[in-house]
Amino acid sequence: MDIIVIVIIIVILFSLGSALVGMLRGGKKGSDKMFKSLRVRISLSVFLFVLLMFASFMGWIEPNNVLPTQ
Amino acid sequence: MSDQNYYIPHGTYWPVIGSIGISTTFVGLANLMHDVSWGAPVMGLGLTILIFMLFGWLGTVVNESISGIYNKQVDRTFRWGMSWFIFSEVMFFAAFFGALFYARILSVPWLGGADNNIFTPELWEGFKATWPLINTPGAIGQSGTAFSTNFKLVDAWGLPAINTALLLSSGVTITYAHHALRKGHRNALITWMIATIALGVLFLGFQITEYGHAYHDGLKLTSGIYGSTFYLLTGFHGFHVTVGAIMLTVILYRIQKGHFNSENHFAFEGVAWYWHFVDVVWLGLFVFVYWI
Repeated sequence: MDIIVIVIIIVILFSLGSALVGMLRGGKKGSDKMFKSLRVRISLSVFLFVLLMFASFMGWIEPNNVLPTQ
Repeated sequence: MSDQNYYIPHGTYWPVIGSIGISTTFVGLANLMHDVSWGAPVMGLGLTILIFMLFGWLGTVVNESISGIYNKQVDRTFRWGMSWFIFSEVMFFAAFFGALFYARILSVPWLGGADNNIFTPELWEGFKATWPLINTPGAIGQSGTAFSTNFKLVDAWGLPAINTALLLSSGVTITYAHHALRKGHRNALITWMIATIALGVLFLGFQITEYGHAYHDGLKLTSGIYGSTFYLLTGFHGFHVTVGAIMLTVILYRIQKGHFNSENHFAFEGVAWYWHFVDVVWLGLFVFVYWI
């Protein structure tokens, strides 16, 4: 499960980087590339969040969030 | 401007005012840290000068941009400038995420005797390498070599998940705003921008509440390597959300002033990318701090 989550994060980072390249290029082409990449990045992010919820519900993944007890 | 190769800026006094602002701020801060009574007001004065400079300088740039005196070369320099700023931000967060991964994957297992550090368990008797480590053995400010791995699991579907949902929603709304701007739908653009800013502010409110809970329950900046990395990462992220929300508000003001059209809106693109970046950093935090 961890591997799947990490792979999705890498793809998200890649699309964010692709959007940056589009912004740097500018013009109509660059602007289109930027918008499309950002759309991919937000779609994947929402998918990852839903996947985590589902995986946690199914017991495939355990949370890590802690507080000291003393 | 007919020459597409060079841009020679005119003379300006804003850099001098900026320097005075920064110097005044740090003189105030240094004296504040030495409990000098006039430290805080002088620092406040310095920050006021800095904010005044930002409005003045950036206002000049905005006015020059909408008056149409900038050529393609200037547009390229703005894009490169933003890219280098982003590069420094990526490196900044890479360092903190690097610290988190280093502590988790290398240094804490070493303390527990992994690899060639077989004598470490002799130094810290009974120490077990666990993550999260909230009480580093022998840390400054702690009694002797006492350490503890006592902690309770907290529901990751509480405030952290609500905050993730809020920030991801703001990522969706800014994408709709971006779409509306590209299609020239002004009212939709303004609505989505207001929604994005509201979600960002709500995120900050919940984050302050989360800090209150965590601190009250004993998770502090001094709570071992986990406490340090947790507060540094989430704290600097919160600071970036604050800056992003301010930038979005400025962009909203500029949209209402009619500064952008469907083809020419680099300032919006820069801020939108920044907001997506801050969103991705939080997603990374949510996944690596709270889950994996």
